[in-house]
Amino acid sequence: MSSRTTETLEPGGHAHEHVSDPKAVKDQIEHDIYASVGKPRPLFWIALALSLGAVGIGAVCWAYQIYTGLGVAGITNPVGWGVYIVDFVFWVGIAHSGTLISAILFLFRAKFRSKFNRAAEAMTVFAVLTAGLFPLVHLGRVWFFYWLFPYPNQRLLWINFRSPLIWDVFAVSTYLTVSVVFWYIGLVPDIALARRLKQVKEGKIARVLYGIFSGGWSGSFREWQHYGQLYKYMAALAAPLVLSVHSVVSWDFAMGVVYGWHTTIFAPYFVAGAIFSGCAMVLTLVIPMRKIYRLEKYISIDDLEKLAKLLMFTGLIVGYAYIIELALAVYSGNVYEYEQFMYRMGGDYAWAYWTMMICNIGTPLLLFFRKLRRSIGFLFAISIPVNIGMWFERFNIIIISLAKDFDPYAFGLYTPSLIELGITLGSFGWFFTYYLGFTKTLPVLSVTELKEEVEHGH
Amino acid sequence: MEYRFNNKKDFMEKLEALFKDGMRLKKMKIYMPHPEHDVEHLVEKYEKPSRLKFFTLVGGLTGCLTGFAFTTYTVFSWPLVTGGKPFISIPPFTVIAFELTILLGALFSFAGIMILARLPKISKMFAEEVHGNEYIIITDDAR
Repeated sequence: MSSRTTETLEPGGHAHEHVSDPKAVKDQIEHDIYASVGKPRPLFWIALALSLGAVGIGAVCWAYQIYTGLGVAGITNPVGWGVYIVDFVFWVGIAHSGTLISAILFLFRAKFRSKFNRAAEAMTVFAVLTAGLFPLVHLGRVWFFYWLFPYPNQRLLWINFRSPLIWDVFAVSTYLTVSVVFWYIGLVPDIALARRLKQVKEGKIARVLYGIFSGGWSGSFREWQHYGQLYKYMAALAAPLVLSVHSVVSWDFAMGVVYGWHTTIFAPYFVAGAIFSGCAMVLTLVIPMRKIYRLEKYISIDDLEKLAKLLMFTGLIVGYAYIIELALAVYSGNVYEYEQFMYRMGGDYAWAYWTMMICNIGTPLLLFFRKLRRSIGFLFAISIPVNIGMWFERFNIIIISLAKDFDPYAFGLYTPSLIELGITLGSFGWFFTYYLGFTKTLPVLSVTELKEEVEHGH
Repeated sequence: MEYRFNNKKDFMEKLEALFKDGMRLKKMKIYMPHPEHDVEHLVEKYEKPSRLKFFTLVGGLTGCLTGFAFTTYTVFSWPLVTGGKPFISIPPFTVIAFELTILLGALFSFAGIMILARLPKISKMFAEEVHGNEYIIITDDAR
């Protein structure tokens, strides 16, 4: 964009004075962003093969579990919630930063959002799709999954709406629906543009599909007028929704009387953690994407630095929550609560606790150095330990709390079985398969919003 | 008449002139490459703003009422005390009502744009007509 923008910007001047030929710049944006759509290169096929391979491993493991029974998983008494629930919370958490970037940053008019929102929204949808598998995987008889839905049984008894697990069904399915609708609305004008791509030849099925999904969008004033309103209201609805979803997930635990779960700080603590892990995942996905599809012109280091600051900020909140959690345990005067946290720090699972602490409190602190914050390689490198740390956070909360509760005779240890780890691997494959498909079929940046910014002189 | 512009400034000047001249949306077609708030503000001086907000409002209220009504209905369809809680347990039912407020608010809004903007337009799905990155005003001069 910079080559066509005059270098001397007058402060306070109007946007159209900055860009010598806005139409040419917009044409260029279209050309650059849609370049990624179309025939993939060998690297893509390799990545896709790896992802599908992981999906295959996961599918075989799940099929074996369904055929044999839930006993093939490591979960037993007292640890009845294992890696499956850890994965569920992890993936729901990953989803959250997508909505934060697309809805909350939209309401706050944060300019850098347009560089990430499309990819982050796609990530949200795929992560919720991944998360949604785990309650099913965790079921002993998965073919009765519809028992979760609100309808009366043979004796005309309804489900218990006082159960946090039912709130979860409502929250997660609402979240998936709203995320898909929000993502799709943003995509419609871009899909309409894709109809005239060079790569998509006349008469090809792709062209027909773009046509159908564009809904016949023509870019008329009336359409844009309603679109503007719709986008605003969807953002206003999605913003409180995203805060509620992980709060509800946290209440799955906090409503129980298990020590280590039964805490009032859980809702905000989970939401901050979710956004923290999601920002890390956005960095993991966007940094290679930016390089492979040559988007350096559009996603600048300044934009990535802003995301890094968000990561650092949410990381600090998460660190604060860890300390508060400990402080509450110590000052509560409750021996069970106190013991639970002593056990976390020095018990059988201390390695998991300290992995979490180092990854989630230690690594974000490095972002205080401007040099590191502006190093692309470092940002990518740091996003991985944060993802690992956040997975272990859920592991610690769920497994350690269950392993040691009130009665010493009921204490027990849990080790994930190979089947559980195989399904976890499969979930990563499932997520990346979707994401890879997305980068080849849809514009990875919001072309419409980038064009809009041309007129505002960015 | 058809007017094409490469930049917003000229387009808006022409548009304003047309409106001052008594031209209205009914008699012209405007195409833009992306949404423009300035254009919206200009047009809304002469025309009504989008009514989409009513769809959002109705959807949200419907969702909220449905959430409370549905949960209340289910507990009274077979009154059974569970966990010593009152039949109408406001805090848990609020969670359901909240989620349904958002869900129906969003779905009604989406239905709203389909109805108000007359989408999907099947005839235009595969049309050759392409507007590119220009601002276009097409006026119906037989007024």
